Amino acid sequence: MGWLFGSRPTTAGPSPAVAAAGVSHRSLALAALLASLKPEARSQVLDLGPPMGGNIEWLSTRGCRVFVVDLFSSLQFETVESRAPENFPRLLERLLPFGPDDRFDAVMSWDVFNYLRPDQVNALMSRVGQCCRPGAQVLSFIATHKEMPATPLRYRIVAPDSLAWEGALTPTRAAPCYRQTDFARIMPTYRVKSSFLLRNGIQEYLFSARG
Amino acid sequence: MSNENREAASIGPAISIVGDLTGDEDLIVLGKVEGKIEVPKHSVTVGRSGRVTADIRAKVVHVEGEVKGNLWAAEQIVIRKTATMLGNLTAPRVGLEDGCRFKGSVDMENAIGDKNRAATAPVKGPEPAPQRTPPPPNSGGGTRPEAQPPRP
Repeated sequence: MGWLFGSRPTTAGPSPAVAAAGVSHRSLALAALLASLKPEARSQVLDLGPPMGGNIEWLSTRGCRVFVVDLFSSLQFETVESRAPENFPRLLERLLPFGPDDRFDAVMSWDVFNYLRPDQVNALMSRVGQCCRPGAQVLSFIATHKEMPATPLRYRIVAPDSLAWEGALTPTRAAPCYRQTDFARIMPTYRVKSSFLLRNGIQEYLFSARG
Repeated sequence: MSNENREAASIGPAISIVGDLTGDEDLIVLGKVEGKIEVPKHSVTVGRSGRVTADIRAKVVHVEGEVKGNLWAAEQIVIRKTATMLGNLTAPRVGLEDGCRFKGSVDMENAIGDKNRAATAPVKGPEPAPQRTPPPPNSGGGTRPEAQPPRP
């Protein structure tokens, strides 16, 4: 299995600990993002996480058109060579084949940045930025602890300011622990609009695409 | 006999069809279809063994196998967890089971009305730490979080 960041999981539990559905946390970043999506605007939302029917329904009932690209899973099927820095932008053009009418108002990247190298985050957001409206907002969860689950968690919207998560907590792997200063360098066409540190060690970011 | 009482037409797992399919009864696809499928007043079910490379227009579409194409349904689209779906979905109601593979867009026409349907009761969880916003725009003013228990 090719890991996108780092080399191997650092901890192998006897069996993956699967979080029970319904474990949730308040998300002020989510609340801010959703508040910006006006139903009458027919907003377009790019979801870079795995398809979650509840999230899609939730957004759709608020007038959003939702694009789903399970980026982490998609990258798992790609070769190591195609994920190399020099090839990654071309790979993204294939994985994210946006049409001329695709103009995103919001991007939900969840925790996928944690599983990408800095050059991959840069290429991803450059690609996404080509199809973002000025001021489009990007929701991202960044691990601040040294260890994190080896694969991304799945996040389910349960309320405008509340997310439930599920997924395997073990094995774990080293977290890149991106800082706000890192994003200034990695994503120069975005600014940090707001940031919240949760008690569970997740730093929520809401980025805004510069006009 | 009404159409509702008739059995659905079935394309068996050993059948491959290249071309357009139209009809006036329910359709179950267990084989391969390349082209276009239109049964606007009936349902289309792509079974687990079904491999469809086609746009589908129907009243109801259920996908359990593989579909590469765009789906339009007058009533409902359901993507089962066994499905691999590459294409855009347009229907008033779209259901995606967790575990399915899906890449595309979802457009639920006329779905704005019932805004309260998906808004469930708030679930209590860890409180966020005090807000440190708005930070200076990409000014390098980020702070390192304090050590926290390693529980997501």
